Amino acid sequence: MEDAYIGQAQDAALGREFLTWLWFKSEEKNGMFPGPDNLDFALYVEQRVSVQGGEGESLETATVSGRMSELREARLGLTTGKKVSRALLRLERDAEAWQVTVKAEDFSLSGFKTPKVETKPEEGDDPDALFLERIFLLEKALGFLDHVFAGFVRLRLSPQWAEECAAIRVWLAKS
Amino acid sequence: MGFLAGAAAFTRYRITEPVPDALWAEVTDRLKKHAFREIDDTADERSFGWVSFEDMLDAAWREAPPQKGAYIAFSLRLDTRRVPPAVYKKHFLLALRDEERKAQEAGRKFVSRERKKELREQVKLRLMVRTLPIPAVFEVAWNTQTGVIWLGSTTPKLRSLFEDHFTLTFNLHLEPLTPTRLALDVLGEARARELDNLEPTIFI
Repeated sequence: MEDAYIGQAQDAALGREFLTWLWFKSEEKNGMFPGPDNLDFALYVEQRVSVQGGEGESLETATVSGRMSELREARLGLTTGKKVSRALLRLERDAEAWQVTVKAEDFSLSGFKTPKVETKPEEGDDPDALFLERIFLLEKALGFLDHVFAGFVRLRLSPQWAEECAAIRVWLAKS
Repeated sequence: MGFLAGAAAFTRYRITEPVPDALWAEVTDRLKKHAFREIDDTADERSFGWVSFEDMLDAAWREAPPQKGAYIAFSLRLDTRRVPPAVYKKHFLLALRDEERKAQEAGRKFVSRERKKELREQVKLRLMVRTLPIPAVFEVAWNTQTGVIWLGSTTPKLRSLFEDHFTLTFNLHLEPLTPTRLALDVLGEARARELDNLEPTIFI
């Protein structure tokens, strides 16, 4: 298949490595990551993961889902060389929780749920309050996600990446 | 479901050039100039353009302005007429039978290929007029402080329609915030080559 735009293959490769690494990292660190403000937030890969491997005609995708499942079949996919192509992430900070599905190849977002926002405006409220509150919450979660991605990119291009890969191999062998 | 409630789905973009200061005062006028036009009373196959964020029927921003705090919010509306293939097939067959009968009466054995083509177009047009356009609305939120724009869709066709219409309206270009783009933000353009030359990792 021809690329729809220049750099599409690079986007897909980088996105898949990130989500694969993220799954490993969130398990290694019990979901705890430092946020852009240096305070921790939690990030879990759960409930639904797609893994993909091969290319062209032999491209193969396996999607595994289950509410409390360990997504064993998807892990199995990783041990055969597949990488995560789409993952449902759960983010938490204090009493707030978000859920979002990230697609590896273009980082498009879907099923993005924010903490509950009071939807009944009271008299005298700014009519845009609901919109601004929701956008604030969506941006907050994306701030966490972009921060984790920035950490991944720096690591990916550093000599320490080899060590990280060794740790990922150990993690996979245990799966 | 969109930015206000439920589960949101969207693609992130960024404006690639500085926004001229004069543009901020022109936002509403520019949206109006490239606003959505109804096609209920025509036979057009599709129509698209901007409508108010709050109301898909308001293409003149009568009720609320697009400016909301540091954001500009509006929606892309796309109406499409779609004749179900089975309906089209039936009506083409009816038209063809009729034409064959007329040809026979005139002593001809066949309906010519050109005539069939004409019939196809006539049937399509006739059915289009009778088909109601299906409206779809995709929200847009523009953070004027960061130049980041969210489009409430992840489908490639709609994305490219949005990108073109946005550029036509504001004379500004958009780039999607893909993994590579975000990585370059972290690393700086000077390390673009390193990123280009990355060998895919084999984790096993």
